[in-house]
Amino acid sequence: MWNLFKIEWLKVKSYKTFWVLFMGFILFYPIAFYFMANKYMETTSGTMEGKVLKSMLEAPFVFPKVWHSAGWLGGMFFILIGMLFILLITNEVQYRTHRQNIIDGWSRMDFLKAKFTLVIFFILISTILVSVTGLITGLLFSETKQNIYSQFYFVGYFALMALLYLMLAFLVAILIKRTGLSIIIYFAIVCILDNVLWLVFTLKGSQLGYFMPLEAVDSLLVNPFKPRMMEKRTVEDYTLILAAIAYISVYSIVIIRYFKKADLKT
Amino acid sequence: MAILTVDSLSKHYGNLRALDAVSFSVPQGSVFGILGPNGSGKTTLLGILMNVLNSNSGTFTWDLGGPYTNATRKHIGTLLETPNFYPYLSAERNLTIAAKIKGKGEDDIYRVLKLVNLFQRKDSAFSTFSLGMKQRLAIASTLLGDPAVLVFDEPTNGLDPAGIAEIRELIIELSNNGKTIIMASHILDEVEKVCTHVAIIQKGVLKKTGSVKEILAGSTNATATIIVELSAPNLDELKAVMESFPGVTSIRQLRNELMLTCSVEINGTAINQHCFQHGITLEKLSVKKTSLEDKFLEITGTKSDN
Repeated sequence: MWNLFKIEWLKVKSYKTFWVLFMGFILFYPIAFYFMANKYMETTSGTMEGKVLKSMLEAPFVFPKVWHSAGWLGGMFFILIGMLFILLITNEVQYRTHRQNIIDGWSRMDFLKAKFTLVIFFILISTILVSVTGLITGLLFSETKQNIYSQFYFVGYFALMALLYLMLAFLVAILIKRTGLSIIIYFAIVCILDNVLWLVFTLKGSQLGYFMPLEAVDSLLVNPFKPRMMEKRTVEDYTLILAAIAYISVYSIVIIRYFKKADLKT
Repeated sequence: MAILTVDSLSKHYGNLRALDAVSFSVPQGSVFGILGPNGSGKTTLLGILMNVLNSNSGTFTWDLGGPYTNATRKHIGTLLETPNFYPYLSAERNLTIAAKIKGKGEDDIYRVLKLVNLFQRKDSAFSTFSLGMKQRLAIASTLLGDPAVLVFDEPTNGLDPAGIAEIRELIIELSNNGKTIIMASHILDEVEKVCTHVAIIQKGVLKKTGSVKEILAGSTNATATIIVELSAPNLDELKAVMESFPGVTSIRQLRNELMLTCSVEINGTAINQHCFQHGITLEKLSVKKTSLEDKFLEITGTKSDN
């Protein structure tokens, strides 16, 4: 796996778009989170309305809630990494290098595994970034330093979310092959389809909406600014985690079965 | 010993039969030409042999010592259809990726770049290369790690005349060094100049396979035909004289010369002597064996498949 990653790294390290999108995530996510926290703290201190708001929202930038907020915003920015990952796969089709890699002696599985090393790389870096951002913001804005890690599991939820988003991106890119169309379909699923399905089920009073392909992880890291009284979810976290794992498994199986049998054309 | 054995390989795309039960074998050390018009199935065939396309039926076996696995391809240098590289990476970086996938030493990169005259441009991005340079880089990539088998799909595609001559020289040199070379081409002249064996394929059907000599000789029973082109100041007189020459089966009068078809080995000296004895001085005497082109057209018909 390490050798496969080294080859993937050779492919991406001179690719400008990779650095633009990756650094966009690495720089803008922590900056955005810090400014959000700063603005929120300014607004909620002093005025009466601010204090009411604060009581409803359970201090999103203070330990231990800060882990949840950091994970949630990280998820928003991570959509960029999903797009980048699609690009890295569809580029191979466009350049026909996916064929050449196989011709040169990789198995179909080697090609998929190599791309999966990038999934691990993106998840590792982004999870570390979310942890560090959460920790620093928490330390800056929390009055007490107690109970710091009691909700650290939200960072784990973030990692699961990142994995599910990237596996969806992987699936879309492998099946669709064309860069533009893949990105459109990915955004359509992420921004529209999943939310519409969730809304339809939730309006009907069903909990099924929380088990939609991406909503499962989105519901684990729900918008921290949403007052608790508006939360309609009654299903437990662990059921959503199981749903997410099931989706990841299904996407993986489809990717492997499709790619192992496909004719590699452009 | 056969290095590659193809047995009844078929591939269809819907109703289109891209390959129809193609079988042949490639002897070790040969330069094996896969000859056919555009769209005849050559690239499809090579794609299947390289595992980038799946066949519908049939099998193939590469015998490079040991059972065939994905890793076997690491020991075959292949250029399939077009040069496939990362456009934003330099020539050297692209070859580093290929070498790492093949598990070959990166110290070989400079050698192969020098072989195809691209060493000076090793740091230039692939996207800045001309078509000919891209093709040469692809050939360089196939030579990484000095593989015993090379597969070239239209190797001289996009090259200028000097580039074409260089690649032919390189192929002949590789062959002299004991490599087995499989080469798909629609250019007859190319195949005739470098190949020892040939498979002629048309519309997915294998029309003929064997050594170039056998193919040119036609079926094993027939004798090779020889074409002799002759001219003299008086063509009518020449025609009358040549009609009595043993072995001449037909004489056609062209604008300024006669074209004789002869059934037996004929030598120019005997013809020259015969004419001279009959008081004719020849202006032209040219003895030609049947070319692969004639044979190819005879086998595949004269219409283009396009």
